[in-house]
Amino acid sequence: MLTYVIRRILILIPMLLTISFLVYTALELTPGDAVSALINPEVASRLSDAQFAELREAYGLNKPFIVRYGIWLSNVMQGNFGHSLAGGVPISTIFLDRLPATLELSLVALLFSTVLGCILGTYSALKRGSITDSSLTVVGMIGVSIPEFFFGLVALLIFALNLGWLPVGGRLLPGYETIWDRVPHIIMPAMVLSLMMTAGVMRYARSSMLDALTREFITTARSKGLPEWRINLLHGFRVALTPVIVLIGFRLPLLIGGSVIIEQVFQWPGIGNEFIGAVRGSDYPLVMMIALFSVFAVLMASLIIDVLTALIDPRVRLS
Amino acid sequence: MSSRSLNKKFDKILAREEAGELSSNSGSRALKKLLNNRLALVGLILFSIIIFTAVFAPLFTSADPMKINLRNLSQPPSADHWFGTDKTGRDVFARVLYGGRVSILVGLGSGIIAAIIGVLVGAYTGYKGGWLDVIALRVSELFMSFPQIILVLLLVSIIGQSLINLMIIFVLTGWGGMYRMARARMLSLREEEYVQALQSFGLSTATICYKHILPNALGPIMVNITLSTAAFILAEAGLSFLGLGVPASIPTWGNILNVAQEIRVLQNFWWMWLPVGATISLFVLSVNFIGDGLRDATDPSQQG
Amino acid sequence: MAGTQDVALSVKDLKTYFYTNNRCNKAVNGVSFEIRKGKTLCIVGESGCGKSVTASTIMQLLPKLSRIEQGQITYHSDDGDVNIEQLDRDGKEMRAIRGSEIAMIFQDPMTALNPVYTIGFQIGESLKYHTDLSRSEIRAKTIDLLRDMGISLPEMRVDDYPHSYSGGMRQRAMIAMAMSCNPKILIADEPTTALDVTIQSQIFELMEKLKTENETAIMLITHDMGVVAELADDVAVMYMGNIVEAGTVDQVLRYPVHPYTRALLESIPVLGRGRDQDIQPIAGSTPDPYDRPKGCQFAPRCKFRVDACDVMPDEVTYNETHRVMCWRYQEFLPDAE
Repeated sequence: MLTYVIRRILILIPMLLTISFLVYTALELTPGDAVSALINPEVASRLSDAQFAELREAYGLNKPFIVRYGIWLSNVMQGNFGHSLAGGVPISTIFLDRLPATLELSLVALLFSTVLGCILGTYSALKRGSITDSSLTVVGMIGVSIPEFFFGLVALLIFALNLGWLPVGGRLLPGYETIWDRVPHIIMPAMVLSLMMTAGVMRYARSSMLDALTREFITTARSKGLPEWRINLLHGFRVALTPVIVLIGFRLPLLIGGSVIIEQVFQWPGIGNEFIGAVRGSDYPLVMMIALFSVFAVLMASLIIDVLTALIDPRVRLS
Repeated sequence: MSSRSLNKKFDKILAREEAGELSSNSGSRALKKLLNNRLALVGLILFSIIIFTAVFAPLFTSADPMKINLRNLSQPPSADHWFGTDKTGRDVFARVLYGGRVSILVGLGSGIIAAIIGVLVGAYTGYKGGWLDVIALRVSELFMSFPQIILVLLLVSIIGQSLINLMIIFVLTGWGGMYRMARARMLSLREEEYVQALQSFGLSTATICYKHILPNALGPIMVNITLSTAAFILAEAGLSFLGLGVPASIPTWGNILNVAQEIRVLQNFWWMWLPVGATISLFVLSVNFIGDGLRDATDPSQQG
Repeated sequence: MAGTQDVALSVKDLKTYFYTNNRCNKAVNGVSFEIRKGKTLCIVGESGCGKSVTASTIMQLLPKLSRIEQGQITYHSDDGDVNIEQLDRDGKEMRAIRGSEIAMIFQDPMTALNPVYTIGFQIGESLKYHTDLSRSEIRAKTIDLLRDMGISLPEMRVDDYPHSYSGGMRQRAMIAMAMSCNPKILIADEPTTALDVTIQSQIFELMEKLKTENETAIMLITHDMGVVAELADDVAVMYMGNIVEAGTVDQVLRYPVHPYTRALLESIPVLGRGRDQDIQPIAGSTPDPYDRPKGCQFAPRCKFRVDACDVMPDEVTYNETHRVMCWRYQEFLPDAE
């Protein structure tokens, strides 16, 4: 098992290196001085030309491209992501500030959509051909067809503006700290964000379950005289779960992407919100670092998914 | 289905079978199944209506989607303006119709171009193998390890906002899925026993490819085009909603929705954003219905 | 035939139809037979003749879009007769019979075992539902069963997953699973088709042993006449949903009277008879089940076809241990030749 995990991590490294190299190349090509990406621009603006040149030398910015990339990479690995062009804030500070909100939102949505999607999909498969099944199929289709942000807008109009049950946006009002103060804020964004994912997981869980139920070991289980619930859940669902988890892994980038727009709709103070601001303001260092980070997050998530599938499915461990 | 209704159904089939009314099926099974699928049919009709009204927009509205009318600001729906007017007095109905042209062009166009590139590259490298295959595979992995919207926004911030740029970006970020499908299809079909049987009969590679392999891959390709079209239309809407997609001067579904970022519009002027949001949803829904029907119809392993 | 107290299961005029794609396939169209205690009944036939469907019908393991049209399946248990066809498919009574009274093993042990559970878990499941054994007793019994089936180091292999077993071992594990609750009847649906010939004989030896030791009645489904000759006590030959000829193995193999049985026997090469033996393939192919011949199902391929064959012949029990479904069987009787 450990060798499996290590092997999976080793596969990721060349990918991350390639992408970081591309990101660095893009950083060099886009406007904005390389020095300013490394030191606080406020400080940089007060420097004389001579001092500036000295700094360039000190940071190795006159060295060949590939060396500069090496320096940048080691900086990044030590947590020095450079500075945002707007306000000169260190990007690492922005990450520390904004990341918890995004993680909170994505994890709640992920958990919700996985659980609900699996339950509905499995139920639908077991009741194949019933009215419940066909209505769930249609609802699922509608779920993947409505733009998430539009759904968010409608929810906002109904639950926040007209009914006044839930707050319009934000994550937490100043002075309110308990978990119960947070819950009303996260309900809408998390539900809206998980809509598409739930529908996707549901559809996939249904077909995966249907597929599992046609396998011969189901007949074997039935021939042993086991009760239906055990056949369906222990034998059917357990086997159907592996492809569903793999799909959730594939969909994670979508969830992360979806949170970019949803954070905007609900003024959720997360990384996605920051990203939109950076794209609008052509804050290239910040844009690049968030993009790089998102790739890192996706690759890590896929690693976790791989380990998870290996844990629940003995077949994967061997291959 | 309950066992009683199932039993009834069985009795009916049995009676017809005994009477000799049922005969072996003939004709295109795929087409029949597609038309038998009620949802796909609904999708097809909805899809045609929206495309038709967008393409022939001047037949349905005489209003100019770009014409600012300062004496007619933010009017609710009326006989003159079916969907009301926006904050600069432009007719929203006309904007939805004309905007549909651009949005559908971006979605369907990028979807088809991405599919063509993906299939060509995938089929070729999948068939050839070797270093070309390895490179193409790595490049596609590179693109696919980004969350799509982040990659799109990244590219938008680098090459700038325009209609053509957006389509280029969509194709760039969207070809990977189709490529991998086409490649995997090619690889597995090459190993299929029936293809190997054909090879052993001495059929030429080209004949096998075009007469036997390609038709088998056509179903999934069509399904994939519908899926990516739906995804691109949603992406365009999202990006333009953020003000980062198609330049605001061109009416598109996403750009019309852009106004809803303002709480005041959201709360008081529902006609400025609700109809267009519903239109996007309906269009994407129709595309998904068609895609689903196609999948069922072309997948020979599914019977019912 | 034998008295009823020797019979473990009798099937009478059984019809099972399939309703897929809005058509009706009369997969089993009126079959009757008996499985005797401690004996092996072999059901032979080409693929698609309905032999597997017959087995699934007895176990009530039919797919959703099918049903038993008519007939009786009577299980003669120690506590009296049970009419299986009247039980609810997945009801309590049926579940109590499955796995405990009647057990089944399948053609392909590769797909018949759940890949995500250990062998021990899957055997233990049967015991858990049909006995009152505790967890540790179940484990001990599972290990015993595996040992009885000839699996070496059962204490270790019990915690292995199916994919680390070879094909032959999986089938042994399947048999261990089936035999775990000492069933009265074992239904084996082509248990060796997916295995090597050498493994095949080991598996059959095992089944033979079980039969003599436990008095288990075995219903063996096969398409291999060699297997029949070796293992069967009784034989039923199926063609397109009917049993065309049935009887003791002696009677049927020695004095086949149905043209189909005769053709089947003529189509097999015999080991040791050399290259020059006269092997006769059966002409034509099995008809489309949706477009069946009017009368005798075999008529279109039959060398002895006459006009009478347009009407379905009745089943004739012409001596105590032999019955047949053919208009012209008399011409093939041993005395006639």
